[in-house]
Amino acid sequence: MKHLIKILFLFGPMMCLNISCSTLEEDTSSLLQVGVISTEADIKANIAPIYRSVLNTNNDPHYLRCATYGADDITTWVAGNKAPLRVFDRFDYGSGENSDINWLNVAWDNYWNTIYVCNTLIEGLKTSTAPENLVKLADGEARVFRAHAYLNLVKIYGNVPILLDGYLPTGDEQRATVVENYKQIESDLLIAENSLPAPGTEDTGRVSAGFAKTVLADLYLTWAGWPVKDQSKYSLAATKAKEIIDYGYYTLLPLDQLWTFDGAMSKETIFSVRVPSDESKWVNQATAFTFHQGRGFSDCFPELRFFYDFPEGPRKDYTFLLDIPNRGVKDGAMFDKTPATIPWQDSDRAHPMYRKYVYSENLTVFIRPVNFRPVELYRYAEVLLIYAEAQARLGENSSSIEALNEVKRRAAGLPYNVANGTVDVASATPNEIVDEKGWELAAENKRWFDLVRTERVAEMAAKRDPSEPVTLVRMPTEAQYIAPIPAQSINNSKLLQNPEGFKIN
Amino acid sequence: MKKTKLMIKQVIMICLIVCGVTTLSGQNIVQGNVTSSDGQPIPGVNILVKGTTQGAATDFDGNYAISASPDDILVFSFVGYKTQEQVVGDRQTINVVLQEDATSLSEVVVIGYGTAKRSDLTGALTSVSSKDFDKQPLNNVSQALQGRAAGVQVTQNSGAPGSGFKIRIRGANSITGGNEPLYVIDGQFADINTINVNDIQSMEVLKDASSTAIYGTRGANGVILITTKSGRSGKPKFNVNVFTGISNVTQKLDLLSAAEFAEGVNFSEGSEVFSAQEIADLRANGGEDWQKRLFQTAYFNNVQLSASGGNDNTDYYISGNYYETGGTIVDHQRFKRLNLRSNLNIKLSEKIKAGLNFNVGQDKTTGERADLGVGLAWDPTTPAFDENGDYNFASNLATSDTNPLVAAENNVLVNTRDRISINGNFNWDILDNLVFNTSGGITKRDIHNNRYQPLISLPGGRADVDNIYGTNLYNTNRLTYTPNIGENHSLKIDAIHEIVIDKSNGAYITATDFFTDLVTYKDVSAANVQTVANDESNRELESFLGRVNYALLDKYLFTASFRADGSSVFQKEKWGYFPSASIAWKASEEEFLKAVDAINNLKLRVSYGEVGNQGVKVFDTRSKGTLGLGVDYPFNGIYTRGVAPSILLANPDLTWEKTKQINAGFDLGLFNSAINLSFDYYKKNTTDLLLFVPLASFYGPEGYFDNAGEVENNGFEVTLDTRILQNEDWNIKSTLSISANKSKVLALNDDLQSQSYGSQIRESTFPVSPSVVQVGQPISSFRGYVFEGVYQLGEEAEAAIYGKVPGQAKYKDINGDGIISTDDITIIGNGSPDYTWGWNWDISFKNWNLNFLMTGSHGNDIYNLQRARLMALGAKQFHAVYGDYRNRWTPTNPSDIPSGRDGTEILSSQFVEDGSYVTMKNIALSYNVDKNFLNKLGLDGIRLYASVENLFILTKYSGFDPEATASVSNQDTDTGIDYNSYPLNRSFTFGINVNF
Repeated sequence: MKHLIKILFLFGPMMCLNISCSTLEEDTSSLLQVGVISTEADIKANIAPIYRSVLNTNNDPHYLRCATYGADDITTWVAGNKAPLRVFDRFDYGSGENSDINWLNVAWDNYWNTIYVCNTLIEGLKTSTAPENLVKLADGEARVFRAHAYLNLVKIYGNVPILLDGYLPTGDEQRATVVENYKQIESDLLIAENSLPAPGTEDTGRVSAGFAKTVLADLYLTWAGWPVKDQSKYSLAATKAKEIIDYGYYTLLPLDQLWTFDGAMSKETIFSVRVPSDESKWVNQATAFTFHQGRGFSDCFPELRFFYDFPEGPRKDYTFLLDIPNRGVKDGAMFDKTPATIPWQDSDRAHPMYRKYVYSENLTVFIRPVNFRPVELYRYAEVLLIYAEAQARLGENSSSIEALNEVKRRAAGLPYNVANGTVDVASATPNEIVDEKGWELAAENKRWFDLVRTERVAEMAAKRDPSEPVTLVRMPTEAQYIAPIPAQSINNSKLLQNPEGFKIN
Repeated sequence: MKKTKLMIKQVIMICLIVCGVTTLSGQNIVQGNVTSSDGQPIPGVNILVKGTTQGAATDFDGNYAISASPDDILVFSFVGYKTQEQVVGDRQTINVVLQEDATSLSEVVVIGYGTAKRSDLTGALTSVSSKDFDKQPLNNVSQALQGRAAGVQVTQNSGAPGSGFKIRIRGANSITGGNEPLYVIDGQFADINTINVNDIQSMEVLKDASSTAIYGTRGANGVILITTKSGRSGKPKFNVNVFTGISNVTQKLDLLSAAEFAEGVNFSEGSEVFSAQEIADLRANGGEDWQKRLFQTAYFNNVQLSASGGNDNTDYYISGNYYETGGTIVDHQRFKRLNLRSNLNIKLSEKIKAGLNFNVGQDKTTGERADLGVGLAWDPTTPAFDENGDYNFASNLATSDTNPLVAAENNVLVNTRDRISINGNFNWDILDNLVFNTSGGITKRDIHNNRYQPLISLPGGRADVDNIYGTNLYNTNRLTYTPNIGENHSLKIDAIHEIVIDKSNGAYITATDFFTDLVTYKDVSAANVQTVANDESNRELESFLGRVNYALLDKYLFTASFRADGSSVFQKEKWGYFPSASIAWKASEEEFLKAVDAINNLKLRVSYGEVGNQGVKVFDTRSKGTLGLGVDYPFNGIYTRGVAPSILLANPDLTWEKTKQINAGFDLGLFNSAINLSFDYYKKNTTDLLLFVPLASFYGPEGYFDNAGEVENNGFEVTLDTRILQNEDWNIKSTLSISANKSKVLALNDDLQSQSYGSQIRESTFPVSPSVVQVGQPISSFRGYVFEGVYQLGEEAEAAIYGKVPGQAKYKDINGDGIISTDDITIIGNGSPDYTWGWNWDISFKNWNLNFLMTGSHGNDIYNLQRARLMALGAKQFHAVYGDYRNRWTPTNPSDIPSGRDGTEILSSQFVEDGSYVTMKNIALSYNVDKNFLNKLGLDGIRLYASVENLFILTKYSGFDPEATASVSNQDTDTGIDYNSYPLNRSFTFGINVNF
């Protein structure tokens, strides 16, 4: 018995320790709750991931644009690892095939991630105790990016399900119609354009009402074209674009400033996403648009026909690079080989490169050319051309012609706001304006959507240069206007793949 | 051989009773020596004059002396050996060789929370004793288990030094909840990698639910109990075991020569990238043989020292081990392991015993190995070095990756894993039939991962410093009651309380933009950009257990157990309850079988039990804000910290996964156990799987954990032990184990029919996972298009339907809709074998011993995605470097190897191969130096040995080897996928083992 007492003394405390330890509850004090927004700092912390998601979306142009290679302004390497890009360059899709290829999902995933982050913020703001003006502003920012993401999804993949703030997944989601998508996007943008500050008054790096109106103008222009073809939207597009012009804030930069670092944060910039100034992160525009010979990835370069047809002039010189950089790498740094450049005809891809994306490249921080230049989602030149085209479809007027001429004057290296008889036109057809937009915004991820909207994909494909190494599987039809929905989302939901799931009205 | 003997003795010492004194007069003194069949002395052998109580025992050198008259008969007996009788006659010296008694029925084996006699077991348990593997030089526990335990599938998933292995007991139950068995070392829950294999006395593998249910929520994947060596009373015994050897990869791949590659590039680009002259020059010069660059001979050394001994009240075992090896893929990598163990047992009083085990160790990996995936894929026309001896950093013809030698030869990597584990136990016989046992311990593990990529390798350099600290605490208290309930009955009741706490915290530093390489990771202040992250986690498990063992007439055995487990990782349903029951019938104890001489043992066993799996991580049931650099944004050039919504959806209702298992088997011993056969059949159904449900990416969150679905595994295991020949000169034994397992997914969440799970290769290479979990199929199924060859000339019309031309790949249009789309993806293979086997032979002739282990795996497929990459498919490769490309389709070479640039799928049956194999896993020859010679040196034993690991592999598989390279990750959904993995090595080892 004495032993027992001793034992109890020995092990009793251990048992007590056991009992006191074993609450079996997780210590959740290290977890941050989502959607609790009470201070200005909370708001900013919840907005940051929205912008970050937009940056991620635009970080790698070749991924983002995978489904848009059918456009005549870009093509890719005939060999190497570019098979997914060639699927779209060759129109090897349209009946649901090739939904499981690499990179097709990148744009899809990134845009939906933006929507998820925006939805969470919009929901959290409903119960926020932060000052009302800040809540309104944050709500507007979340809505404009949500709308922008939805608009791009519909443009690339066709109609998509609508998941908004406060939504919980059920597994039964279906794709809305294109029109339903447009209406929802419009409703967000109409709120956002009133919530956001006028251009020039926004905080550094943030969006203004100018961005909301531009997305809205883009939406209306798209709405008026294929597939909905609601012609009444042209006037809304024109009105909205004119409102932006009438801010009187935006300008066109001289060509020699446009593709500089500052050019992407200028008064021509409607909105651009940025990387940190400590150079700890960069974007891959220069890598994607440079050939392997220049230490790039040869993802994206102009089709020969597009290059040949591009009107001569200063803009062409700033758009294309004809002397292809010839670089090597050694001891963790790039160096110029001899010769430092090679004529494009003799280069490893036998095409010119896009100069605009390597104009302000950085060649020292990495063993490939990279960019610290912010990435524009819209430039003022696009607004002018949206206005010019939309108004031309309604009946052109002096201000719409002036908008077109401003772009043409700058393209010729002239002051954009001074009339010039050698460049100015008195009239232009909508297609002429669309082509002008193609040249002005060459390789800026706009051309494909303009061709689809105006149903001119086949027209351009027919003009393809016969010496283009990537050859077409078929002549494109409407079936190629939208990309297959990435397989992961089809497999894990009840969404119907294109073309069965494509519903316009 | 001495070492073997030592271990046997140690086991036996547990039951050893040292005998009394001899006190007789008028008789002769007879003396002699008792050895085992392999010449080792056996201490503690009982020698009895037949029909009297006169006895003696052998000393530590096996010597004895006893008084006996010429008419007397001496009886030599020792547990584990056959009793022998000798008539004294006029001899004064009688030397005896005892034969091992192969029936190990009286052997005591470790079971969950206790021990049992093997003959009393009612569940399915496989033992692997050190004597099964100690003739082979080992540095890793997996080598000791592989092929030696039926039902246990051990796969070495890399040939990298010190690398891991995958152990599965009776297949994989869980899809995303983890299938790693539970490891218990001397009663302490532990990481299998922390043990020095040379310290292992025995391993018991608990397989059926009646054995594992005692481990409740952690028992579903089987349990491996490891018992380390202990000392025995007597003078100190020392053992020194040293081996050294070399390793090389088992084989190389057939890759294109530089000239062949250049021709392929011209073909693929459709232009003359290489001129005819350049190709001719390459043909003459040969270009670079990257395999020759990348593979090298590795050297390894192992030193093991141990001392053991004790007296009546204390015993000890102390060992130190040092193992060092290089890698077979280029330079600058060493792996070192240090281990120190001290096991101490003290008898405090007649009733109280205490033990303390202490284990310290360090694993250290230095140097970064070349990326083999990149290395094999690199351009053979570009030499590794230029004419000045500097690196050729880049070539853009095969891949855009940097020369694989640059990182391997310049990056600095130092990873250390330090661990200390202490566990003590205290055993008190409160009453004759009541025992209290308490044990507790702490394991501390520090992980330090340091890496520096210098400026030559990465502009700006980069340092990564991870410091992770983990602590595991446990305490188990057991009360065992064995009431006397009559002669024909025996009863044993255990009641146990246990608590286990796991804590860990880590800090992770990343630094970039260095101005100098001099300080590497050691002072990240030299970097302009430093980022830090940290985490902390804590999990607790509390359990109450009870077990009843009842035996009637020592023939009918019954065991029942119950465990209640509470786990902190679940929010609402914390507690799980796990019952089990088993019965066994020792038929050979029945009169009607006792008469059959041939049968010395027959036992029939049936069991049923439920076990659980709590294999989710801390916070896996919760959603939480996402922080970190990935959600920050530089509005004005400087990052604003962001908080993004949760990646995981919460599931507060999540609870354990349950596995119900039935097991039926028998153990048969024939001809005095010259043949022992064990057979087990089992069926396991795992329900409420801890299933990670991935959401379609448009939802936002990646997914959530749910209790859903069902997986069934069934199979059988056969173990056949045979003593083929045993006499003074010869001793031949063989053990064959065969395991067959069939797994099948019966259901997934909701009405889903199939689901893909992310694999580590998926992110960068495949848009969809190569593996799929599909209802009605095994967990490890491959998905892809069905490859039907190449469209030939004359098939233009058929090809045109699918937008193809001759030379392009032809895939089966399964739904016949005229397009090849994801609807035409189907199951094209299965990575799990139908059955595996291991066959161990141990052949002794006089002083020689030959021990070899063959293993085999049959019916498994391998998805050779490494070959697919080398054929220029996937996002990483530009042009083909694989030998098959020589035979690509052209109008004049109508082969079945597609040559079109577009439309060739990486995920197709073109790359599925039969992965069956037979391998000579290990063969060891050893020689025991003659005893008489050793006595002069004052040594007890010297064994010299040589062995070869992976001497040959018989397989049709075209990759490096069908075992290691087919293990891209530890996930069971990825079983059989070959992509950029480290191949197996063939090793030659020479060693010496000395006892004194």
